[in-house]
Amino acid sequence: MLENTPAITARPGLIDTDVHNAFANVREELRPYLSRAWQAYADYHGILMPGTGYNSSVGVQREDARTPSGAMAGSDPDFMITDHLDRFGIDFAILTGSHVLGISVHTDPDWGNAIATAYNRNLAERWLGRSPRFRGSIVVNHSDPEAAAREIRRCAPDKRFVQVLMASGSSRLFGQRFFHPIFEAASEYNLPVAVHPGTEGAGTAGAPTPAGRPTRYFEWHNIVPLNFMGHINSLVCEGAFEKFPQLRFVAVEGGLAWLPQLMWRMDKNYKALRSEVPWLRKLPSQYIRDHVFVTTQPVEEPEKSSHFLQILEMINAPGNIMYSSDYPHWDFDNPRMTLQFLPKEWKQRIFHDNAAALYGLAARSA
Amino acid sequence: MHRYPVMKESDLPPGSRKLVHVAGVEIGLFNVAGKVHAYRNVCPHGGAPVCLGKITGTTLPSRVYEYDYGLDGCILRCPWHGWEFDLRTGEHLVDPTTRLKKIPVESGGDAAASLENLERFPVESEGGLLCVVLPGGKAGGPS
Repeated sequence: MLENTPAITARPGLIDTDVHNAFANVREELRPYLSRAWQAYADYHGILMPGTGYNSSVGVQREDARTPSGAMAGSDPDFMITDHLDRFGIDFAILTGSHVLGISVHTDPDWGNAIATAYNRNLAERWLGRSPRFRGSIVVNHSDPEAAAREIRRCAPDKRFVQVLMASGSSRLFGQRFFHPIFEAASEYNLPVAVHPGTEGAGTAGAPTPAGRPTRYFEWHNIVPLNFMGHINSLVCEGAFEKFPQLRFVAVEGGLAWLPQLMWRMDKNYKALRSEVPWLRKLPSQYIRDHVFVTTQPVEEPEKSSHFLQILEMINAPGNIMYSSDYPHWDFDNPRMTLQFLPKEWKQRIFHDNAAALYGLAARSA
Repeated sequence: MHRYPVMKESDLPPGSRKLVHVAGVEIGLFNVAGKVHAYRNVCPHGGAPVCLGKITGTTLPSRVYEYDYGLDGCILRCPWHGWEFDLRTGEHLVDPTTRLKKIPVESGGDAAASLENLERFPVESEGGLLCVVLPGGKAGGPS
Protein backbone atom coordinates (compact mmCIF):
# COMPACT_ATOMS: atom_id res chain seq x y z
CA MET A 1 0.00 0.00 0.00
CA LEU A 2 1.45 3.34 -0.97
CA GLU A 3 1.32 6.27 1.34
CA ASN A 4 0.24 9.68 0.14
CA THR A 5 2.69 12.05 -1.45
CA PRO A 6 4.03 14.42 1.21
CA ALA A 7 2.28 17.75 1.41
CA ILE A 8 3.85 20.69 -0.36
CA THR A 9 5.64 23.00 2.03
CA ALA A 10 8.11 25.81 1.76
CA ARG A 11 10.89 24.02 3.58
CA PRO A 12 13.93 22.95 1.55
CA GLY A 13 13.91 19.28 0.62
CA LEU A 14 16.04 16.64 2.28
CA ILE A 15 17.52 13.59 0.57
CA ASP A 16 19.46 11.00 2.57
CA THR A 17 21.87 9.12 0.30
CA ASP A 18 22.86 6.26 2.63
CA VAL A 19 20.08 4.50 4.54
CA HIS A 20 20.45 0.86 5.51
CA ASN A 21 17.45 -1.36 5.07
CA ALA A 22 18.13 -4.62 6.88
CA PHE A 23 16.84 -8.10 7.55
CA ALA A 24 15.29 -9.38 10.75
CA ASN A 25 16.07 -12.89 9.46
CA VAL A 26 18.11 -12.84 6.27
CA ARG A 27 17.67 -16.52 5.46
CA GLU A 28 13.90 -16.48 5.77
CA GLU A 29 13.55 -13.24 3.84
CA LEU A 30 15.83 -14.16 0.91
CA ARG A 31 14.92 -17.84 0.72
CA PRO A 32 11.79 -17.37 -1.44
CA TYR A 33 13.91 -15.66 -4.08
CA LEU A 34 16.56 -18.41 -4.32
CA SER A 35 16.50 -21.40 -6.67
CA ARG A 36 15.92 -24.80 -5.07
CA ALA A 37 19.64 -25.58 -5.17
CA TRP A 38 20.59 -22.38 -3.37
CA GLN A 39 17.71 -22.79 -0.93
CA ALA A 40 19.20 -26.14 0.05
CA TYR A 41 22.60 -24.50 0.42
CA ALA A 42 21.17 -21.68 2.54
CA ASP A 43 19.17 -24.12 4.67
CA TYR A 44 22.38 -25.91 5.50
CA HIS A 45 24.88 -23.04 5.77
CA GLY A 46 22.78 -19.96 6.35
CA ILE A 47 23.53 -16.81 4.36
CA LEU A 48 27.01 -16.12 5.60
CA MET A 49 29.27 -13.38 4.29
CA PRO A 50 33.04 -13.16 4.66
CA GLY A 51 33.89 -11.01 7.67
CA THR A 52 36.70 -8.55 8.19
CA GLY A 53 37.39 -9.76 11.71
CA TYR A 54 37.03 -6.17 12.96
CA ASN A 55 34.32 -5.57 15.56
CA SER A 56 33.18 -2.12 16.62
CA SER A 57 33.30 -1.68 20.38
CA VAL A 58 29.96 0.11 20.19
CA GLY A 59 28.32 -2.33 17.78
CA VAL A 60 27.28 -1.44 14.26
CA GLN A 61 23.58 -0.79 14.86
CA ARG A 62 22.33 2.29 16.65
CA GLU A 63 21.01 0.94 19.95
CA ASP A 64 17.95 3.16 19.92
CA ALA A 65 16.88 2.10 16.41
CA ARG A 66 15.72 -1.45 17.10
CA THR A 67 12.21 -2.01 15.82
CA PRO A 68 9.33 -1.93 18.33
CA SER A 69 9.32 -5.73 18.34
CA GLY A 70 13.01 -5.75 19.21
CA ALA A 71 14.18 -6.87 15.76
CA MET A 72 17.31 -5.71 13.92
CA ALA A 73 17.51 -1.96 13.37
CA GLY A 74 16.45 -1.08 9.83
CA SER A 75 14.49 -4.29 9.28
CA ASP A 76 10.98 -2.81 9.38
CA PRO A 77 10.00 -0.40 6.57
CA ASP A 78 7.13 1.09 8.56
CA PHE A 79 9.30 1.80 11.56
CA MET A 80 12.01 3.31 9.36
CA ILE A 81 9.41 5.71 7.95
CA THR A 82 8.38 6.94 11.38
CA ASP A 83 11.72 6.68 13.16
CA HIS A 84 13.80 8.28 10.42
CA LEU A 85 11.96 9.67 7.38
CA ASP A 86 9.09 11.35 9.20
CA ARG A 87 11.17 12.41 12.19
CA PHE A 88 13.59 14.41 10.05
CA GLY A 89 11.33 15.27 7.11
CA ILE A 90 13.28 13.21 4.58
CA ASP A 91 11.80 13.28 1.08
CA PHE A 92 13.84 10.41 -0.33
CA ALA A 93 16.03 7.75 1.24
CA ILE A 94 18.52 5.97 -1.01
CA LEU A 95 18.54 2.43 0.38
CA THR A 96 21.95 0.82 0.57
CA GLY A 97 21.12 -2.52 2.15
CA SER A 98 22.74 -4.61 4.83
CA HIS A 99 24.53 -7.92 5.08
CA VAL A 100 24.88 -8.61 1.34
CA LEU A 101 27.76 -6.47 0.04
CA GLY A 102 30.13 -9.28 1.03
CA ILE A 103 28.95 -11.27 -2.02
CA SER A 104 31.65 -9.50 -4.04
CA VAL A 105 34.44 -10.83 -1.82
CA HIS A 106 32.98 -14.33 -1.41
CA THR A 107 35.05 -17.09 -3.01
CA ASP A 108 32.03 -18.44 -4.92
CA PRO A 109 30.76 -16.04 -7.60
CA ASP A 110 27.71 -18.20 -8.31
CA TRP A 111 26.55 -17.88 -4.71
CA GLY A 112 27.25 -14.16 -4.89
CA ASN A 113 25.19 -13.77 -8.06
CA ALA A 114 22.28 -15.75 -6.59
CA ILE A 115 22.22 -13.59 -3.47
CA ALA A 116 22.41 -10.37 -5.52
CA THR A 117 19.31 -11.30 -7.50
CA ALA A 118 17.43 -12.49 -4.41
CA TYR A 119 18.30 -9.31 -2.54
CA ASN A 120 17.21 -7.03 -5.38
CA ARG A 121 13.89 -8.86 -5.81
CA ASN A 122 13.21 -8.70 -2.08
CA LEU A 123 14.10 -5.00 -2.06
CA ALA A 124 11.71 -4.19 -4.89
CA GLU A 125 8.81 -6.00 -3.26
CA ARG A 126 9.29 -5.33 0.42
CA TRP A 127 10.73 -1.81 0.38
CA LEU A 128 10.29 0.01 -2.93
CA GLY A 129 6.65 -1.03 -3.01
CA ARG A 130 6.10 0.29 0.49
CA SER A 131 6.78 3.99 -0.06
CA PRO A 132 7.76 6.20 -2.99
CA ARG A 133 10.23 7.85 -0.62
CA PHE A 134 12.35 4.68 -0.68
CA ARG A 135 14.68 4.46 -3.69
CA GLY A 136 16.75 1.38 -4.33
CA SER A 137 20.30 0.45 -5.20
CA ILE A 138 20.85 -2.53 -7.50
CA VAL A 139 23.31 -4.63 -5.52
CA VAL A 140 25.78 -6.48 -7.76
CA ASN A 141 28.60 -8.96 -7.31
CA HIS A 142 31.65 -7.22 -8.76
CA SER A 143 33.74 -10.41 -8.76
CA ASP A 144 31.71 -11.52 -11.81
CA PRO A 145 31.24 -8.38 -13.92
CA GLU A 146 29.34 -10.09 -16.76
CA ALA A 147 26.79 -11.43 -14.29
CA ALA A 148 26.68 -8.06 -12.57
CA ALA A 149 25.88 -6.41 -15.90
CA ARG A 150 23.04 -8.90 -16.47
CA GLU A 151 21.63 -8.09 -13.04
CA ILE A 152 21.81 -4.36 -13.80
CA ARG A 153 19.93 -4.88 -17.06
CA ARG A 154 17.33 -7.05 -15.32
CA CYS A 155 16.60 -4.45 -12.62
CA ALA A 156 17.20 -1.11 -14.33
CA PRO A 157 13.90 -0.89 -16.22
CA ASP A 158 12.29 -0.51 -12.78
CA LYS A 159 12.89 3.20 -12.26
CA ARG A 160 12.61 2.92 -8.50
CA PHE A 161 16.21 1.68 -8.67
CA VAL A 162 18.40 4.77 -8.92
CA GLN A 163 21.95 3.40 -8.77
CA VAL A 164 24.15 0.33 -8.86
CA LEU A 165 25.83 -0.56 -5.56
CA MET A 166 28.77 -2.81 -4.79
CA ALA A 167 31.36 -3.44 -2.12
CA SER A 168 34.41 -1.19 -2.10
CA GLY A 169 36.45 -4.15 -0.84
CA SER A 170 38.05 -5.80 -3.85
CA SER A 171 41.10 -7.70 -5.04
CA ARG A 172 41.49 -5.28 -7.95
CA LEU A 173 41.12 -1.54 -8.53
CA PHE A 174 37.84 -0.56 -10.14
CA GLY A 175 39.21 1.34 -13.12
CA GLN A 176 40.65 -1.84 -14.59
CA ARG A 177 38.95 -3.25 -17.69
CA PHE A 178 37.91 -6.38 -15.80
CA PHE A 179 35.09 -4.23 -14.37
CA HIS A 180 34.07 -2.41 -17.54
CA PRO A 181 31.02 -4.60 -18.25
CA ILE A 182 29.50 -3.15 -15.06
CA PHE A 183 30.11 0.42 -16.20
CA GLU A 184 28.81 -0.34 -19.68
CA ALA A 185 25.51 -1.68 -18.35
CA ALA A 186 25.13 1.15 -15.83
CA SER A 187 25.82 3.71 -18.56
CA GLU A 188 23.13 2.22 -20.77
CA TYR A 189 20.61 3.13 -18.10
CA ASN A 190 22.39 6.27 -16.95
CA LEU A 191 22.72 4.81 -13.45
CA PRO A 192 25.51 5.93 -11.13
CA VAL A 193 27.74 3.18 -9.73
CA ALA A 194 28.19 3.48 -5.97
CA VAL A 195 30.58 1.71 -3.65
CA HIS A 196 30.15 1.27 0.09
CA PRO A 197 32.78 0.27 2.67
CA GLY A 198 32.64 -2.62 5.09
CA THR A 199 34.44 -5.38 3.20
CA GLU A 200 37.95 -3.91 3.27
CA GLY A 201 40.07 -6.89 4.23
CA ALA A 202 37.22 -9.42 4.11
CA GLY A 203 37.21 -12.62 2.06
CA THR A 204 38.96 -12.22 -1.29
CA ALA A 205 39.47 -8.44 -0.86
CA GLY A 206 42.95 -7.04 -0.51
CA ALA A 207 44.24 -6.00 2.90
CA PRO A 208 42.78 -2.69 4.10
CA THR A 209 46.16 -1.01 3.59
CA PRO A 210 48.99 -1.90 1.20
CA ALA A 211 51.20 -2.65 4.20
CA GLY A 212 48.69 -5.02 5.71
CA ARG A 213 45.95 -5.22 8.24
CA PRO A 214 45.16 -2.69 10.92
CA THR A 215 44.97 -4.19 14.40
CA ARG A 216 41.58 -2.94 15.62
CA TYR A 217 38.23 -1.68 14.29
CA PHE A 218 39.10 1.92 15.20
CA GLU A 219 42.25 1.75 13.11
CA TRP A 220 40.45 -0.05 10.28
CA HIS A 221 37.64 2.53 10.20
CA ASN A 222 40.10 5.45 10.17
CA ILE A 223 41.77 4.25 7.00
CA VAL A 224 38.75 3.34 4.84
CA PRO A 225 39.20 6.43 2.63
CA LEU A 226 42.55 5.02 1.50
CA ASN A 227 40.68 2.37 -0.44
CA PHE A 228 38.35 4.97 -1.96
CA MET A 229 41.37 7.01 -3.05
CA GLY A 230 42.79 3.91 -4.72
CA HIS A 231 39.61 3.22 -6.68
CA ILE A 232 39.06 6.83 -7.78
CA ASN A 233 42.70 7.15 -8.81
CA SER A 234 42.31 3.96 -10.85
CA LEU A 235 39.05 5.01 -12.51
CA VAL A 236 40.58 8.27 -13.68
CA CYS A 237 43.94 6.87 -14.80
CA GLU A 238 42.52 3.84 -16.60
CA GLY A 239 40.35 6.17 -18.66
CA ALA A 240 37.07 4.70 -17.43
CA PHE A 241 35.43 8.13 -17.65
CA GLU A 242 36.69 8.58 -21.23
CA LYS A 243 35.43 5.16 -22.26
CA PHE A 244 32.12 5.65 -20.42
CA PRO A 245 31.37 9.37 -20.53
CA GLN A 246 28.00 8.81 -18.82
CA LEU A 247 29.57 7.05 -15.87
CA ARG A 248 29.11 8.63 -12.43
CA PHE A 249 30.88 7.02 -9.48
CA VAL A 250 29.57 7.52 -5.94
CA ALA A 251 31.89 6.99 -2.96
CA VAL A 252 29.49 6.34 -0.09
CA GLU A 253 30.50 6.68 3.54
CA GLY A 254 34.07 7.80 3.11
CA GLY A 255 33.76 11.48 4.03
CA LEU A 256 35.50 13.94 1.72
CA ALA A 257 38.41 15.81 3.32
CA TRP A 258 40.93 13.54 1.56
CA LEU A 259 39.90 14.76 -1.91
CA PRO A 260 42.13 17.87 -2.17
CA GLN A 261 45.30 15.87 -1.57
CA LEU A 262 44.32 13.26 -4.16
CA MET A 263 43.36 15.88 -6.74
CA TRP A 264 46.51 17.93 -6.28
CA ARG A 265 48.89 14.98 -6.41
CA MET A 266 47.18 13.57 -9.51
CA ASP A 267 47.27 16.91 -11.30
CA LYS A 268 50.92 17.49 -10.45
CA ASN A 269 51.95 14.04 -11.66
CA TYR A 270 49.84 14.33 -14.81
CA LYS A 271 51.89 17.33 -15.88
CA ALA A 272 54.99 15.13 -15.94
CA LEU A 273 53.67 11.64 -16.67
CA ARG A 274 50.82 12.33 -19.11
CA SER A 275 52.46 10.11 -21.71
CA GLU A 276 51.54 7.00 -19.69
CA VAL A 277 47.84 7.81 -20.02
CA PRO A 278 47.48 9.39 -23.47
CA TRP A 279 43.72 8.76 -23.39
CA LEU A 280 43.18 11.41 -20.74
CA ARG A 281 42.14 14.78 -22.15
CA LYS A 282 41.92 16.93 -19.07
CA LEU A 283 43.40 17.27 -15.63
CA PRO A 284 42.66 14.30 -13.35
CA SER A 285 40.93 16.58 -10.85
CA GLN A 286 38.53 17.61 -13.58
CA TYR A 287 37.48 14.00 -14.15
CA ILE A 288 36.80 13.78 -10.44
CA ARG A 289 34.66 16.94 -10.56
CA ASP A 290 32.81 15.69 -13.62
CA HIS A 291 32.22 12.09 -12.55
CA VAL A 292 32.81 11.41 -8.86
CA PHE A 293 30.30 12.04 -6.09
CA VAL A 294 30.77 11.62 -2.37
CA THR A 295 28.34 11.26 0.51
CA THR A 296 29.13 13.24 3.62
CA GLN A 297 28.89 10.76 6.49
CA PRO A 298 30.94 10.16 8.57
CA VAL A 299 31.52 13.85 8.07
CA GLU A 300 34.86 15.21 9.19
CA GLU A 301 34.52 17.38 12.29
CA PRO A 302 37.47 19.80 12.47
CA GLU A 303 37.71 22.00 15.54
CA LYS A 304 37.02 25.05 13.41
CA SER A 305 34.10 24.68 11.03
CA SER A 306 35.71 27.33 8.83
CA HIS A 307 38.32 24.70 7.95
CA PHE A 308 35.60 22.47 6.53
CA LEU A 309 34.47 25.33 4.31
CA GLN A 310 38.04 25.73 3.12
CA ILE A 311 38.12 22.05 2.17
CA LEU A 312 34.94 22.51 0.14
CA GLU A 313 36.59 25.41 -1.62
CA MET A 314 39.69 23.33 -2.36
CA ILE A 315 37.62 20.48 -3.82
CA ASN A 316 35.66 23.01 -5.85
CA ALA A 317 32.96 20.54 -6.78
CA PRO A 318 29.80 22.09 -5.33
CA GLY A 319 27.53 19.71 -7.24
CA ASN A 320 29.18 16.48 -6.12
CA ILE A 321 28.68 16.36 -2.36
CA MET A 322 25.54 14.78 -0.94
CA TYR A 323 24.27 14.50 2.61
CA SER A 324 23.97 11.01 4.08
CA SER A 325 23.03 9.79 7.56
CA ASP A 326 23.98 6.08 7.53
CA TYR A 327 20.81 5.36 9.53
CA PRO A 328 20.58 3.14 11.57
CA HIS A 329 24.29 2.62 12.10
CA TRP A 330 26.37 3.77 15.04
CA ASP A 331 28.11 6.63 13.24
CA PHE A 332 24.81 8.22 12.12
CA ASP A 333 25.00 11.93 11.19
CA ASN A 334 21.91 13.79 12.40
CA PRO A 335 20.61 16.07 9.59
CA ARG A 336 19.54 18.69 12.11
CA MET A 337 23.05 19.01 13.56
CA THR A 338 25.44 17.96 10.79
CA LEU A 339 26.95 20.77 8.66
CA GLN A 340 24.53 23.33 10.06
CA PHE A 341 27.26 25.96 9.84
CA LEU A 342 27.21 25.85 6.03
CA PRO A 343 26.01 28.90 4.11
CA LYS A 344 22.45 28.55 2.85
CA GLU A 345 23.35 27.77 -0.78
CA TRP A 346 25.73 25.00 0.25
CA LYS A 347 23.10 23.50 2.53
CA GLN A 348 20.52 23.49 -0.22
CA ARG A 349 22.90 21.71 -2.58
CA ILE A 350 24.32 19.19 -0.14
CA PHE A 351 21.10 18.28 1.64
CA HIS A 352 18.92 18.14 -1.46
CA ASP A 353 19.76 19.51 -4.87
CA ASN A 354 22.87 17.47 -5.69
CA ALA A 355 21.21 14.15 -4.91
CA ALA A 356 18.01 15.22 -6.67
CA ALA A 357 20.02 15.94 -9.82
CA LEU A 358 22.19 12.81 -9.66
CA TYR A 359 19.33 10.41 -8.98
CA GLY A 360 16.69 12.19 -11.04
CA LEU A 361 14.39 12.76 -8.07
CA ALA A 362 11.72 15.38 -8.57
CA ALA A 363 11.93 18.31 -6.20
CA ARG A 364 9.26 17.73 -3.59
CA SER A 365 7.55 21.06 -4.12
CA ALA A 366 7.67 20.93 -7.92
CA MET B 1 13.86 28.32 39.14
CA HIS B 2 11.26 25.71 39.91
CA ARG B 3 11.43 22.42 41.66
CA TYR B 4 9.58 19.61 39.99
CA PRO B 5 9.01 16.45 41.99
CA VAL B 6 9.55 13.53 39.63
CA MET B 7 9.67 10.31 41.61
CA LYS B 8 10.17 8.76 44.96
CA GLU B 9 13.77 8.25 46.00
CA SER B 10 13.02 4.58 46.49
CA ASP B 11 12.10 4.30 42.81
CA LEU B 12 15.70 4.97 41.80
CA PRO B 13 17.89 2.47 43.63
CA PRO B 14 21.69 2.46 43.09
CA GLY B 15 22.64 1.32 39.56
CA SER B 16 19.28 2.26 38.06
CA ARG B 17 18.16 4.89 35.58
CA LYS B 18 14.82 6.53 34.79
CA LEU B 19 13.76 8.89 32.06
CA VAL B 20 11.26 11.63 32.89
CA HIS B 21 9.56 14.42 30.93
CA VAL B 22 9.37 17.66 32.85
CA ALA B 23 8.06 20.94 31.44
CA GLY B 24 8.81 19.74 27.91
CA VAL B 25 12.32 18.61 28.76
CA GLU B 26 13.48 14.99 28.66
CA ILE B 27 15.72 14.21 31.59
CA GLY B 28 17.59 11.06 32.53
CA LEU B 29 18.10 10.36 36.24
CA PHE B 30 20.91 8.02 37.25
CA ASN B 31 21.72 6.63 40.65
CA VAL B 32 25.47 5.98 40.67
CA ALA B 33 26.49 4.27 43.89
CA GLY B 34 23.87 6.08 45.93
CA LYS B 35 24.27 9.53 44.42
CA VAL B 36 21.66 10.78 41.97
CA HIS B 37 22.65 12.67 38.81
CA ALA B 38 20.31 14.14 36.20
CA TYR B 39 21.11 15.10 32.61
CA ARG B 40 19.21 16.35 29.60
CA ASN B 41 18.52 13.57 27.16
CA VAL B 42 20.40 15.26 24.30
CA CYS B 43 23.97 14.39 23.37
CA PRO B 44 26.05 17.57 22.97
CA HIS B 45 27.76 16.01 19.95
CA GLY B 46 25.04 14.81 17.57
CA GLY B 47 21.75 15.30 19.39
CA ALA B 48 21.20 11.64 20.22
CA PRO B 49 18.99 10.49 23.11
CA VAL B 50 22.14 9.98 25.15
CA CYS B 51 20.39 8.94 28.35
CA LEU B 52 19.21 5.73 26.66
CA GLY B 53 22.79 4.56 26.19
CA LYS B 54 24.49 1.67 27.94
CA ILE B 55 25.61 2.18 31.51
CA THR B 56 28.92 0.44 31.67
CA GLY B 57 32.58 0.60 32.66
CA THR B 58 35.53 1.17 30.41
CA THR B 59 39.24 0.67 29.86
CA LEU B 60 41.16 3.08 32.08
CA PRO B 61 44.17 5.04 30.86
CA SER B 62 47.01 2.54 30.85
CA ARG B 63 50.44 1.75 29.47
CA VAL B 64 50.76 0.53 25.88
CA TYR B 65 49.20 -2.92 25.38
CA GLU B 66 47.83 -3.04 28.92
CA TYR B 67 44.08 -3.25 29.51
CA ASP B 68 42.74 -2.14 32.84
CA TYR B 69 38.95 -2.18 33.18
CA GLY B 70 37.23 0.04 35.69
CA LEU B 71 34.62 2.68 36.46
CA ASP B 72 31.95 0.02 36.22
CA GLY B 73 28.52 1.65 36.35
CA CYS B 74 29.99 5.15 35.98
CA ILE B 75 30.12 5.41 32.19
CA LEU B 76 27.18 6.34 29.97
CA ARG B 77 27.86 5.36 26.38
CA CYS B 78 25.86 7.33 23.78
CA PRO B 79 23.66 5.02 21.67
CA TRP B 80 24.77 6.64 18.39
CA HIS B 81 28.49 7.34 18.22
CA GLY B 82 29.50 5.58 21.39
CA TRP B 83 30.98 8.65 23.09
CA GLU B 84 31.74 7.84 26.72
CA PHE B 85 30.53 10.20 29.43
CA ASP B 86 31.37 9.96 33.13
CA LEU B 87 27.99 9.89 34.85
CA ARG B 88 29.44 11.48 37.98
CA THR B 89 30.49 14.67 36.18
CA GLY B 90 28.78 14.56 32.77
CA GLU B 91 32.18 14.97 31.11
CA HIS B 92 33.19 13.29 27.86
CA LEU B 93 36.23 11.09 28.53
CA VAL B 94 38.17 12.34 25.49
CA ASP B 95 37.33 16.03 25.75
CA PRO B 96 36.10 17.01 29.22
CA THR B 97 35.00 20.42 27.93
CA THR B 98 32.22 18.54 26.12
CA ARG B 99 29.67 17.82 28.81
CA LEU B 100 26.19 16.48 29.23
CA LYS B 101 23.77 19.19 30.31
CA LYS B 102 23.50 18.73 34.05
CA ILE B 103 20.15 19.31 35.72
CA PRO B 104 20.22 20.09 39.43
CA VAL B 105 18.50 17.39 41.40
CA GLU B 106 17.46 17.62 45.02
CA SER B 107 15.92 15.20 47.38
CA GLY B 108 13.43 16.03 50.03
CA GLY B 109 9.81 16.92 50.38
CA ASP B 110 6.96 14.92 51.64
CA ALA B 111 5.70 12.28 49.26
CA ALA B 112 2.12 12.29 50.41
CA ALA B 113 1.75 16.05 50.17
CA SER B 114 3.52 16.65 46.85
CA LEU B 115 2.33 13.66 44.91
CA GLU B 116 -1.33 14.41 45.37
CA ASN B 117 -1.16 16.56 42.26
CA LEU B 118 0.70 14.04 40.12
CA GLU B 119 -1.51 11.72 38.19
CA ARG B 120 1.18 9.41 36.98
CA PHE B 121 2.47 8.29 40.35
CA PRO B 122 0.48 6.43 42.96
CA VAL B 123 0.27 8.37 46.18
CA GLU B 124 2.11 6.76 49.00
CA SER B 125 2.81 8.14 52.35
CA GLU B 126 6.33 6.88 52.84
CA GLY B 127 9.71 7.99 51.49
CA GLY B 128 11.13 11.25 50.23
CA LEU B 129 10.90 12.66 46.72
CA LEU B 130 13.47 13.42 44.04
CA CYS B 131 12.98 16.86 42.51
CA VAL B 132 14.64 18.34 39.44
CA VAL B 133 15.24 22.06 39.26
CA LEU B 134 14.65 23.89 35.99
CA PRO B 135 14.91 27.58 35.19
CA GLY B 136 11.76 29.59 34.48
CA GLY B 137 8.39 28.05 33.69
CA LYS B 138 5.54 27.23 35.99
CA ALA B 139 5.96 24.76 38.75
CA GLY B 140 4.12 21.53 38.12
CA GLY B 141 4.42 17.82 37.82
CA PRO B 142 5.79 15.66 35.05
CA SER B 143 4.03 16.16 31.73
